[in-house]
Amino acid sequence: MSVLQQTPVTAPASAPRRRYRRQDRSGYLFLLPWFLGMLFTIIPFFASLYLAFTDYNLLNPPEWIGLDNFREMLADERLMRSLRVTVIYTVVSVPLSLAAALGVAMVLQQGIRGLPVYRAIFYLPSLLGSSVAVVILWRYLFGVDGVINKGLAWLGIAGPAWTTDPSHALTTLIILHVWTFGSPMVIFLAGLRQIPAAYYEAASVDGAGPWRRFRSITLPLLSPIIFFNLVQSLIASLQTFTQGFVMSGGTGGPADSTLFYNLYLYLRGFTQFDMGYASAMAWVLFVLIAVLTAVNFLAARWWVFYDD
Amino acid sequence: MDRRAVLLAAAGLGALSACGRGFGGGGDDAPDGAVVLNMVWWGDNTRAQKTQAALDVFQRKNAGITVRTEYQDSAPYKDKLATRFAAGDPPDLMAMRMDSLREYADRGALLELTGLNMDGLGENARALAAVSDRTYGVPSGLNSIGFVVNRTLTDQFGVRIPDGDTWSWDDLGTFARAVTEASGGKVYGTGFDLFTLANLFVFTRQRGEDFFTEQGALGITAGTVQAWFELAQRMRDERGMPPAGFMDEAGASAAQSYIAAGKLASQIIPTNNFLSYNAAAGGNLALLRMPGETQGVRRGQSIDTPALWSIAAQSKHPRETLRLLDFLINDPEASQATGTTRGVPPNQQVAAAIRPGLAPDDQVATDYLIGLQGETLPRSFTYPPGGSAIASSLETIATEVEFRRQTPAEGAAAFIAEAKKALAE
Repeated sequence: MSVLQQTPVTAPASAPRRRYRRQDRSGYLFLLPWFLGMLFTIIPFFASLYLAFTDYNLLNPPEWIGLDNFREMLADERLMRSLRVTVIYTVVSVPLSLAAALGVAMVLQQGIRGLPVYRAIFYLPSLLGSSVAVVILWRYLFGVDGVINKGLAWLGIAGPAWTTDPSHALTTLIILHVWTFGSPMVIFLAGLRQIPAAYYEAASVDGAGPWRRFRSITLPLLSPIIFFNLVQSLIASLQTFTQGFVMSGGTGGPADSTLFYNLYLYLRGFTQFDMGYASAMAWVLFVLIAVLTAVNFLAARWWVFYDD
Repeated sequence: MDRRAVLLAAAGLGALSACGRGFGGGGDDAPDGAVVLNMVWWGDNTRAQKTQAALDVFQRKNAGITVRTEYQDSAPYKDKLATRFAAGDPPDLMAMRMDSLREYADRGALLELTGLNMDGLGENARALAAVSDRTYGVPSGLNSIGFVVNRTLTDQFGVRIPDGDTWSWDDLGTFARAVTEASGGKVYGTGFDLFTLANLFVFTRQRGEDFFTEQGALGITAGTVQAWFELAQRMRDERGMPPAGFMDEAGASAAQSYIAAGKLASQIIPTNNFLSYNAAAGGNLALLRMPGETQGVRRGQSIDTPALWSIAAQSKHPRETLRLLDFLINDPEASQATGTTRGVPPNQQVAAAIRPGLAPDDQVATDYLIGLQGETLPRSFTYPPGGSAIASSLETIATEVEFRRQTPAEGAAAFIAEAKKALAE
């Protein structure tokens, strides 16, 4: 509960009121860094909204052009390609990584010895996953004569060019994404612990098998957590940048196959000096994510079950 | 005070250096006369040490001027420079990419270099930085591209290296196939990026066309792009060139190059990098000219520069920055310190003066360039705005062709369409 909520609307006497005020003041004082930090968010936020309606090449003052940037976006084939890449990536990798997270969380939940160690091992990739170092390591693993292909060759399979073939590069990034399931996994683990063991015991007595227990107890009781992870992963996935940037050397290649929406935005803004257009793209993404999240919350009424 | 007026008053840097610190005129220097210049460039640690050595000499000769430098890798450099201009905090002296020159110059972000003495530069070198009849940059060094061949590998497999002055593209194909066959497929004969513009420029000129014309239009025809794609596809079919997807632009540095790793027996490099490539590949590289120079309609190679030096129009210290630039270009002591890390000094007298003192590998690259400069070569024209979009669409299409998702003819037609669109914008 926050400090603010404890403050009564009408203070009964003058002495307590002063005390509450002092409390308020310290509350605001602690919030001060946040307010200062917000300035660095809010000013660029509105600046980018303004720039979205301008032609701005970074070197000359922005020039107001109304909705032209948005009109151009509709006819921009590369933008459509980048949207397609981002959507495919999201639609494939989010369910896969959530399924992997839930699966591993349930295995770990069984009460293995050394749980903290396993938890740390599985969580580690999600801390490192989008870091430059790991993406570079990934390139070496998946290189034409990298570790993966050497392993496949040993089995007599000729591995593909994982990162340089346009038909495989996105798949490689999806594998990388699924590998970083650690952070939803930790949240799933916490959620699984909240489910009273008594439910499972009662179900077992009634003769429910593991699948039935999972469907009828785990899934419904875990649905708020699944919902949270889904919304989080979806937003993060639509904003993917680093993986595509590093894996393709900043180009979105091979043949635009890893040209994520945000990567294209960056290319337009910083390498083609089209900051107005890039700002417009950022706002379209913002609205898109907002709408998707709203849809998610609406849909949640049908499948998310709160047990309190 | 108008900066241009200050520059006109300065009229000739020789006089300026003679006057030293006491030179009149307004300005916003600190009261004690100390001036801090900010200089940015891209490159590696070796280049940093050599650059600093030159700056130490400059600062000794010009008491009261301090040069603060920043450098990074080439990829993030471009973005950072753009951001600094956008933030109203441009560096005084900066390395400028050839394909960015017009993006900056056309928008008034760069100082016109009217006061700089460029008498020592050859016609080719001066033309590199010309935007119509104005100059917004000076080549930081001259280079070209060349073919390096790993002699250790060719000796090992008993393959004869063709005559680098007269070989044709067919000779390259024969040579590459011979290496691959002799090595049992462990080493590929050659490999180079089809989408690196410098490579395609040479091929285009040999066919009598210019990639970009003097007017900034697209000069390359679909037939040439198709021939370029087919040339590579033939070498790939004959296994002289590695299969699709083998080449990966991740390892851009000499140490990570395929020739250093012993996977390719030959590749194309910018000549100013010869020193580092040779060191990385074990010191036994031969530097050849590009194939097809004597068979084509005309010569294809040109004198280029890895980067230009430009000064920001908003620089607070244009006079001092010009003095620093003059030092870097015209003072032999500067080039003695930097060696050929940015290419052969563009000032021909300086290049001749420092040549005897250079390391043997530097001399190889220098002789190559001095040889080229003595020949009649077609001029290379400044990249028009939109050049970066063209480079990126060539990269996309070359990959499509490499993986046979498009035929060379389809790829060529698609590229011409995209390039025309990018230039029209």
